Amino acid sequence: MPTFVYMTRCDGCGHCVDICPSDIMHIDPTHRRAYNIEPDMCWECYSCVKACPQNAIDARGYADFAPLGHSVRVRREEEKGTISWKIKFRDGTEKNFLSPITTKPWGSAYPELKNEPAPTGDMRDSQNLYSEPKFIRHDDGELHTLESNNLEMKLGVYY
Amino acid sequence: MFTTNHFAELSAVISPGIMQTFVVIMIFLVIGGTLFDVIHKRSATYFFNAGDKARKNATREVTGGEKISVVAKTTASEILTSSEFCNPKRRIAHLLGMYGFIAYLIATLVMVFGYPTDVQGTPALWPFLWAVGALSVCVGGYWFWFFIRVDVAAEGNSVFRVVKADLFILSLVLSCTFALIWAFLQSAGNPLSGLFLVFYLITSIVLFGGVPWSKFAHMFFKPAAAIQKKLSVADGSLDNLPRPADRTNPEDSDRHSMELLKDAPLNMGLGIKREQPNHY
Amino acid sequence: MARETIVEDNIDVLVVGGGLGGSGAAWEARYWGQDKKIVVAEKANIDRSGAVAQGLYAINCYMGTRWGENNPEDHVRYARIDLMGLVREDLLFDMARHVDSTVHQFEEWGLPIMRNPNTGTYLREGRWQIMIHGESYKPIVAEAAKKSADAVFNRICVTHLLMDDAKDNRVAGAVGFNVRTGNYHVFKSKTVIVAAGGASNIFKPRSVGEGAGRVWYAPWSSGSAYGLMINAGAKMTQMENRIVLARFKDGYGPVGAYFLHLKTYTQNGLGEEYESKWFPALQKMVGKEYLDPELSHRTHRPIPTCLRNHAIISEVNAGRGPIHMVTMHAFQDPHLEEVGWENFLGMTVGQAVLWAATDVDPKNENPELTTSEPYVMGSHATGAGGWASGPEDVSPPEYFWGYNRMMTIEGLFGAGDAVGGTPHAFSSGSFTEGRLAAKAACKYIDDGKAEGIRINEKQITDRKEEIYKPLDHYKIYRNEIVAGTVSPSYINPKHGLDRLQKLMDEYCGGVTVSYMTNEKLLNIGLKKLKVMEEDLEKLGAKDLHELLRAWELKHRHRTAECVTQHTLFRKETRWPGYYYRGDAMKLDDENWHVLTVSRRDPETGEYTMEKAPCYHLVGDEEKAAKKKPAVRKKVTAKRVPAE
Repeated sequence: MPTFVYMTRCDGCGHCVDICPSDIMHIDPTHRRAYNIEPDMCWECYSCVKACPQNAIDARGYADFAPLGHSVRVRREEEKGTISWKIKFRDGTEKNFLSPITTKPWGSAYPELKNEPAPTGDMRDSQNLYSEPKFIRHDDGELHTLESNNLEMKLGVYY
Repeated sequence: MFTTNHFAELSAVISPGIMQTFVVIMIFLVIGGTLFDVIHKRSATYFFNAGDKARKNATREVTGGEKISVVAKTTASEILTSSEFCNPKRRIAHLLGMYGFIAYLIATLVMVFGYPTDVQGTPALWPFLWAVGALSVCVGGYWFWFFIRVDVAAEGNSVFRVVKADLFILSLVLSCTFALIWAFLQSAGNPLSGLFLVFYLITSIVLFGGVPWSKFAHMFFKPAAAIQKKLSVADGSLDNLPRPADRTNPEDSDRHSMELLKDAPLNMGLGIKREQPNHY
Repeated sequence: MARETIVEDNIDVLVVGGGLGGSGAAWEARYWGQDKKIVVAEKANIDRSGAVAQGLYAINCYMGTRWGENNPEDHVRYARIDLMGLVREDLLFDMARHVDSTVHQFEEWGLPIMRNPNTGTYLREGRWQIMIHGESYKPIVAEAAKKSADAVFNRICVTHLLMDDAKDNRVAGAVGFNVRTGNYHVFKSKTVIVAAGGASNIFKPRSVGEGAGRVWYAPWSSGSAYGLMINAGAKMTQMENRIVLARFKDGYGPVGAYFLHLKTYTQNGLGEEYESKWFPALQKMVGKEYLDPELSHRTHRPIPTCLRNHAIISEVNAGRGPIHMVTMHAFQDPHLEEVGWENFLGMTVGQAVLWAATDVDPKNENPELTTSEPYVMGSHATGAGGWASGPEDVSPPEYFWGYNRMMTIEGLFGAGDAVGGTPHAFSSGSFTEGRLAAKAACKYIDDGKAEGIRINEKQITDRKEEIYKPLDHYKIYRNEIVAGTVSPSYINPKHGLDRLQKLMDEYCGGVTVSYMTNEKLLNIGLKKLKVMEEDLEKLGAKDLHELLRAWELKHRHRTAECVTQHTLFRKETRWPGYYYRGDAMKLDDENWHVLTVSRRDPETGEYTMEKAPCYHLVGDEEKAAKKKPAVRKKVTAKRVPAE
């Protein structure tokens, strides 16, 4: 379902142009409003639909297999940390869904790696990544190795 | 420049009748252009059909009284304040342009028709409103043109790329700019004022005559669309959108999927949306 | 349009592509290179880019060692059997032993991971999969990359790697153009981590119009991971190992949660179980070692994905289609119904749209399944990609040359789809690979391996001319015609894509030929690809958007060529259900229990193909299996040609 833009809702703010992963939401030179320039490169990922502050973008099922007369609309509310969906079938059946999109305030829970104690030479030579081995199992265990797990790398056919 | 009725000054050269006729023609161009737009493109039919469709979708009846209140509220809270713009800069620029243009337009009408020859008798308010209005259009318009315009801000196009969508904004700011220059030169007694008067008239003709090809019509359908949007909230159809989530309402918070947000803060702040849409 | 040259100098770690792999690389690089300059170049907006842009409803690679659920070697065994024996087990083991720490970080950052209310562990969808509310998976992960990187350059289409002019076979950065401004960007860097994507849209899609956008893998996955590396002369591996997906018809909605969590199952058009009846014949093709339904029934051992595809393809070709997913039972439970829908809304909204449009409510009707067109990538049930070094403590000598995840070009690292032989990494594994590559890249620099890099001005100006050629070519030859898109002097990127898809479909085993090819067809395909390369020099792009498409096409074309070379080289049918070599319809462990490795000479364009030994991770389980009376013991290690 390539996306399309409601003429009366779009105010040409550029959020969809900015977010589209496929570079297909662009500004129309006649009305200075957004539109989908390449529907067959649209994954219907809804990135632009969710980003639109005016709910001006919608999607219509791909013409080569989806009949008209349906609606799948979304409201992504960052402050609330939620996403709401409303599905309307061609025959009028309605389904509503609500899910979380984050459990923490955006951007609040990332350590500043620049300010972590600098890794030692031993750590650099080890196989551990940042926060490892602690973060793998949340215990004092070490990283798995061939030795620890009693394994060898062998030529041959094994199934 | 802020105190003189420049049209009355001009009446020494061009008769008030001609000036008044010009203004009337401009008014007819706008009306004619809008009608042409509505009939030729059948935009009005679309609006009525869309309204019908929306009514079928309604989950509750909206009474006549409610409708009037919706229209009034939308007018006060949205149309008059351009609150629909999510970008505050754009909103300010739009308000500067909108109110500047209205002031400039009313002042022009009053001066051309009310005080066509009477330089001394024109109340100081009108020339002042006229100049400040035009200036306000220029401030908002150029700000928009050079910095806010989405084809420049989000698309990365050159400021100097001109497309059809620019017909309206360009003719608007240019006509106001030329009006101001003309007025200034006229006050200074500079003979070049005549040249800028010509520019002023030409850009005004483009502005008002270009209605069917420019975005001028958005002045009419934008309010209509704003009202329709609010009506869809009132009648529960919400344009098929899901209703806003309410995490304090058990109907939402007790949903199985919402388990993970039980103890989470109610306000998560902004994620993607905290950055301006110009990542390039 | 400006075409200004903008040089970003003195970069230590340049990450090409800001998807899951690239985000992992940028994030981790900051820890090991606290004073290093880390830069990300991304062709879209990192907040919504890569294969996870839309979101995911599951993390498909999580061991759960914390709760004693699996060990890394268990995952290696799973991937090995699913890929019919041929994977890079050193890389897989390495990814699997680190992946849990990645997932735990995601949860820290705010990714909603569902919990099992009874045990408190992550809610499992299947043995390896955990369920998430992942609508914002990508923005949450991108935040980490943005936090770590000195700069994220969005909307930069990276077209080429820069090579060191002082020392052979050493990387020196990358170049590309800004899709918005049209400026030419030069990134001079000591190391480059290629974390660009695999390839959709190489084979003709089943859809005929708009629906071509509803590809299984994102349409913006343009094979740039491969295009960039092949063109630079890096060795590639297992490129023949394309993947075909059994998915809900047209919408390509995922089936994982349906099979594993909702316990739905498939049946043919007559309402019968069909899979098992194809197994005896299939067993003759691939051997009991690879298909043992009885054993699979008793244990966790999976029936390989390709073989399940084979059953679907065969059943449909036998006239008993369509294949249905039986959802009507599961969907009677309102909670499971909710999971089923949210699963789509979280990662494949298009499938929900399609069902709404066609009034298919899986509660009342069993939806159809189909097998997709083939895709080339390296992080799902398929392992195409670059030939990368493994970790020192695991890899045998043939798999190790100094730095983990370093390609055969010095200073060039890879993650995600870019690394070959590492299927089943998925999102979390790709991020983990990025982290591994970043640590190794920092070590490479600290070891002084990136000293004395020199880039001649000529290399930079030549690339610039090459990059903008489609724009210039269009401008000049547009004068030749009145209007329209038909010109005798250029083709546009869409024309080129159509041609590529058609020829790959017909000659390299696409959907219209039921995934069948042979030596003759492949040779014709290669010839046509070569001719097409000449036309790619005459691509016409009318604007920057088309210039983006032009370069995506060039990367796709190079990927397709490499896929065809590999498919020609491997004279067996290793993955029935992914593709068939009609002239060698059997799996042949005697000659082909090896990894295929190619290198394209950047000067001549000639490919050199070789067989690399396939090492296995052997523990008690393998030893026990070996002790059983061998059914068809054919191959010893010595007979596998080692390079």
